[in-house]
Amino acid sequence: MWKADGGQANPELKKLVVDASCALARLDTARLEELALSCQALNGSLETLSVKDRTALARQARDAQNDMAVFGRVLQATSANLSVMKRLRELRMENIEYSERQARGDGAAEANYGND
Amino acid sequence: MGTINAALSMMGGALEADQAALNVVANNVANANTTGYTEENPIWQENTPVLIGGISVGDGVTEAGAASQRDRVLQERLDQQQQMASASGTRLTALNNMQALFTPNSGVSGATAGDIGSDITGFFDAFASLESDPGNNALREQVLSAASTLAGDISGAASSLNAQKSSLDQEASGVVGQVNSLTAAIAQLNQEIQSTSPEGDAGTLEDQRQQDLSQLSQLVGINQITTENNGLSVTTTSGQLLVSEGQNFQLTTGTVNGATDFFLGGTDVTTQLASGGGQMGGYLTARDQDIPNALSSLDQLAYGISTAVNAQNNAGVDLNGATGTAANPLNIFSEPPHVQGSAAAMSVVMTDPSQIAAASAGSGTGDNSNAVTMANLAKQAIVNGQTPINSYSNLVSTLGATVNLVQAENTAQNASVTQLQAQNNALSKVNLNDEAAAMATLETSYQAASQVFTILNTIMTSALNLGVETAVS
Repeated sequence: MWKADGGQANPELKKLVVDASCALARLDTARLEELALSCQALNGSLETLSVKDRTALARQARDAQNDMAVFGRVLQATSANLSVMKRLRELRMENIEYSERQARGDGAAEANYGND
Repeated sequence: MGTINAALSMMGGALEADQAALNVVANNVANANTTGYTEENPIWQENTPVLIGGISVGDGVTEAGAASQRDRVLQERLDQQQQMASASGTRLTALNNMQALFTPNSGVSGATAGDIGSDITGFFDAFASLESDPGNNALREQVLSAASTLAGDISGAASSLNAQKSSLDQEASGVVGQVNSLTAAIAQLNQEIQSTSPEGDAGTLEDQRQQDLSQLSQLVGINQITTENNGLSVTTTSGQLLVSEGQNFQLTTGTVNGATDFFLGGTDVTTQLASGGGQMGGYLTARDQDIPNALSSLDQLAYGISTAVNAQNNAGVDLNGATGTAANPLNIFSEPPHVQGSAAAMSVVMTDPSQIAAASAGSGTGDNSNAVTMANLAKQAIVNGQTPINSYSNLVSTLGATVNLVQAENTAQNASVTQLQAQNNALSKVNLNDEAAAMATLETSYQAASQVFTILNTIMTSALNLGVETAVS
C-alpha cells in the first residue's frame, strides 16, 4: 500500500497505473481491488503531504500521463466487451427458456396461436 | 497542467462516447441472426502479446483445438477487435520507422533527418559568424557548407519518407492476393455448407469458414451477414461486397497519381479500406495520411527557408558588388516553384562563396547588415507562420504524439482481445455456472478498474494542481 515516508511516494504513480492496466487486461479482480485500496489510501494522504512531496507527486503524475491514457483505453474496451458478454448471456438465457417451453409442449401451443 | 487535465477530460469524454459504440454493438447483437448453441472446435490464432508500460500480458496463449461454443456474436466482437489491433499494429510499425528517421543521431542510412534541428541552427549561426568579418572567405565557405548540410538532410529525409511510402504501397498491394484467395475459399465453403447443411451446423466446414474469416479480418476490415440456409455474406466495413454466399468479388489494383489504388467492382475503395481496419487499413493510413503529413511539413520547411533566404540574399550586395536580378539571381538554394516537392528538391545552387550578399545595397561590400538580417531570419515566421526551428519541432512532436496515440490504441485493443479470449475459454466449458462466473469476473474487474481510474484521475489532477484541488473522501 502507498505511504508517504521520508518524502518519497512509493510506489510511483506510473507503476500503479501500468499495474492496473495489466490487471485489467488479465481480469485480475483481486489485484484491482488491492490497487483500489492503495489508491484510496494515497488519495486520503494527499492533504498531509508537504510541498516537497506534492512537487514529487506532480512529477510522477506527469510521468504517468501516457500510461493513464492507455489505462483509459483498456477500460473503454473492457466496458464494450462487458456489454457484448451481457447481451450474449441474455440471448443464451432466452434460448434456454424457449427450449424448455418447447420441451414442455408450450412451443407447439404458441405456434398454433400464431396460426390463428 | 492544462495538458494532462485536457487529456483526462478527453478520456472521460471517450468513455461517454463509448456508450454510443456499445449501443451499436447491442443493436448489432439484437439484430444478429444467431444460430444459438452450436458446438464446434474453433482454432484460435496465437495470442498477441500485450505490452503495457514494458510489461507483457497474455503472451504465448494459444487455444488451438480447444472445444468451444461457436458464437457469432462473440466471434464478431473478437474479429472486430483483432482487425482493429491488426490495423493499429501495422500503422504503429510504420510510424516507428518514421520516428526512427527523425531521431537525432539515429544512424539511419541514406539520411540524417534527426539532425535537421541542429542543421537549421547551424545554418543561421553561420550567418551570425559572418557578421563579424563579412569579407572572410572561410566564413563564407562555412555558410555554404551549413546550407549544403541542411539541404542534404531535408532532401534525404523526404527521400527516405518517399521510400517508406513506396514500401507501404507494395505491402498493401501484397495483401490483395491473400484477400482474394480467402474470399474465394469462403464463397466455396458457403456453397458446400448451404448444400450439405442448410439447417444445421456444418461442423468442420464451418470451422474452416470461421478460420478464413478470422484471417480475412486480420487483412481488411469486414462485416459478416448471415444469410438463408446457413450462408454468409461478407462486406468491407463500409459495405462493399466481398462475398455474397457462393460468389466472391475480386479486389483489384490500379495506379492512380503514382500510387496503388484498390477497386471492387470498378469502384475505388482505397479510402474505405484505409479506415476499415486490418493490415490493409494500417498500411494505407500510414501511406496516405501519416507520411504525407510529415512530407507536407518538410515541404513547407524547405520552401519557407529556401524562398526567404534567397529573397534576402538577392536584396543585398555580394563581395563583388553585384546584386541579384531576375536574369542573374544570387540564390543560395534552388528556388522552389511551389511548396509540394520542395523538400525532395532542396539543394544548394551557389558555388562561389563571394556571391553571399552580406552587405546591404548602397553600403559598400564591407558592410555586414544584410548578413545580420539573414541571421535574424532564424527568428522570423518564414515557414507557414512559424520560425524554422518551431516548424521542425512541431513536425517531430506531432509525429511523437501520433505514435503515442496509436500505441495506446494498439495496447488497449490487444488487451481487449486477451479478455475476450479468456471469456471464450470460459464459454468453451459449456457450463452455465462457469459462464456466469466468467461474466462476474469481467464485471467485477471492470468495476474495480473504474474505481481505480476515478481515484487515480483525482490524485493526478490534485497532484498537478498542487493543492488547488484537495483529496476526495
